[in-house]
Amino acid sequence: MSAASGIYADRLPQRARMKRLRQSLPWYPFILANLVVFVTFNLAPWLSMFRNALYKTDLLSHSEFVGLGNFADMFSDELFHLALRNTLLFALLYVPPIVAVSLIIAILVNQRLRGMKFFRSLYFLPNVTNIAVLALVFRRFLSPRDDAPLNFLLGLAGIPPQRFLLDFHQALASIAAVGVWQSFGFFMVIWLAALQAIPQPLYDAGLVDGAFGWRLHRHVTIPLLRPTAAFIIVITTIGALQEFGAIFILTGGGPVYATTTAVYHIYSQAFNFTRFGYANALSILLFALILLIAWLQSRYLKFDEDVY
Amino acid sequence: MSTEAPLNAVQPVAGETAAARLRSWVGYQPRQEVRTLLTYAIMAAVAVSTIGPFIIMLSVSLTQDVRFLLFPIDLIPRPFTLENFELLFARTLALRWLYNSFYVAIVSTLGGVFTSALAGYAFARGNFIGRDLLFYLFLGILVMPDTALIVPQYILLADLGLVNTYAALIGPWFASIFGTFLMRQQFLSIPRDYDDAARIDGANVFQTFWRVLLPQLGPALVTLAILRFMGNWNSFLYPLIVTTKAEMRTLPVGLGTVARAGGDAGLDMAGAVLGFLPTFLVFLLGQRYIIQGVSLSGIKG
Repeated sequence: MSAASGIYADRLPQRARMKRLRQSLPWYPFILANLVVFVTFNLAPWLSMFRNALYKTDLLSHSEFVGLGNFADMFSDELFHLALRNTLLFALLYVPPIVAVSLIIAILVNQRLRGMKFFRSLYFLPNVTNIAVLALVFRRFLSPRDDAPLNFLLGLAGIPPQRFLLDFHQALASIAAVGVWQSFGFFMVIWLAALQAIPQPLYDAGLVDGAFGWRLHRHVTIPLLRPTAAFIIVITTIGALQEFGAIFILTGGGPVYATTTAVYHIYSQAFNFTRFGYANALSILLFALILLIAWLQSRYLKFDEDVY
Repeated sequence: MSTEAPLNAVQPVAGETAAARLRSWVGYQPRQEVRTLLTYAIMAAVAVSTIGPFIIMLSVSLTQDVRFLLFPIDLIPRPFTLENFELLFARTLALRWLYNSFYVAIVSTLGGVFTSALAGYAFARGNFIGRDLLFYLFLGILVMPDTALIVPQYILLADLGLVNTYAALIGPWFASIFGTFLMRQQFLSIPRDYDDAARIDGANVFQTFWRVLLPQLGPALVTLAILRFMGNWNSFLYPLIVTTKAEMRTLPVGLGTVARAGGDAGLDMAGAVLGFLPTFLVFLLGQRYIIQGVSLSGIKG
């Protein structure tokens, strides 16, 4: 703010400056609450993160300046390397299915048939339910017993019982599946908004040009959905890279660290091992990683290119 | 959906409208009725998968002595009992967590909606020093991944002695950048003539906001309130780290500890029902607003 007023001080004579200040003053009370909250809970923690990362501290008795030592420690922290790998793997297991499933369902629901609104609501329900509730339910559904719900259904299809959350190779995929199940309704609504925003004349023009059925969608619908696809891919990726609740409750990072993601590792370093300085350094890296991936995606997917 | 089918398999029938043809996604499939039936079958199967678990949850929570949740399952609770809920309230602090969650969610929602409306109004109508700078600063915060801030937030709150307080649980929810931007858009959609008329009648900026403009934004306020309530009720990581005492936990965090402790299925499902019902009821009543709000956020991007 002082920077902004400084600029004006150069440009405007004394009287105009006073007038501008008088004009401004009544508006500050309106943004005061916002400012206090964001300074306290965003700006201050964000700035202190860079300072904290230079210390080795348990917040109680011990605090020691280590410079970039925390960042150097990351190179030898094999659990962190595994966590990074798990984080990216989780994004790969989560993003393509949710993008595809939500689009397919949106296309189905978008048909002019009776009862579609009702189905839409049913699909949205898991999305408004909190992850602790879902975890309580799915811990039971995904139990390795062969008469547990999911294994029972697999049994009907002739598939032997699986260990899901207790299996080193299946745990991460199981959590991704719960995530897809929870959130597809949300992205379905976003796809629907995009589908319904496509101007009818474009379809008519396509028909005139001799495109029917699948071909019409291939050349009209899909290109027009690209900005929405880009938006959904970026949003779901950012979400996937920060997944925590389901992992915390369902697997606690296990079995044998198979579901220890970057966020879980940060949480565990800070709150189980009281390595707060190191956790700060990891947070900076996570922060940079998420921004980098989101930036690359929006660049590559040409987020806001004009399609019309 | 064979990709081998020739694209010209269906010739446009005389009298068939363009709209009717558009209804079909895969235009070369033979019969509309078959396709409709198939659509309903898929949609019903998906619907069973999304609501089935909740029905089973409710049913098990109302039955006695269920150690494990197993299939095949009797959906009608026999015998019908509230014993699981009594046990849950006796063995855990579930009632206290429920109170905490309601208290935090209600104060957060009312506070967050009010401050969003105030700031949205200032950004839409005000011309004050630093406005554009703040606007971009807020936009910057909006794209920040918030889980990366969890650890420094905890350290700051620990320094301030705010761990295990309602202030810490409510604080970050007392203002909303998404809400501020949403409300700004809403205020921009109201013609300035209203402001001018109010000013001629002698209203100051706050009176213009409170008496003239805000009453016109009812639906937007309801949408924002519902989204904020849901978001706050369902938040997990933040309330987990700012509370260490059991009696200060919110319901989802408390239920998380119940889940990790691993008790009877009946007890677990009773806890799940308790965490499920509040957002379910809000969803039932405010569905229209929620779906509208989600579409809004999507189109914006």
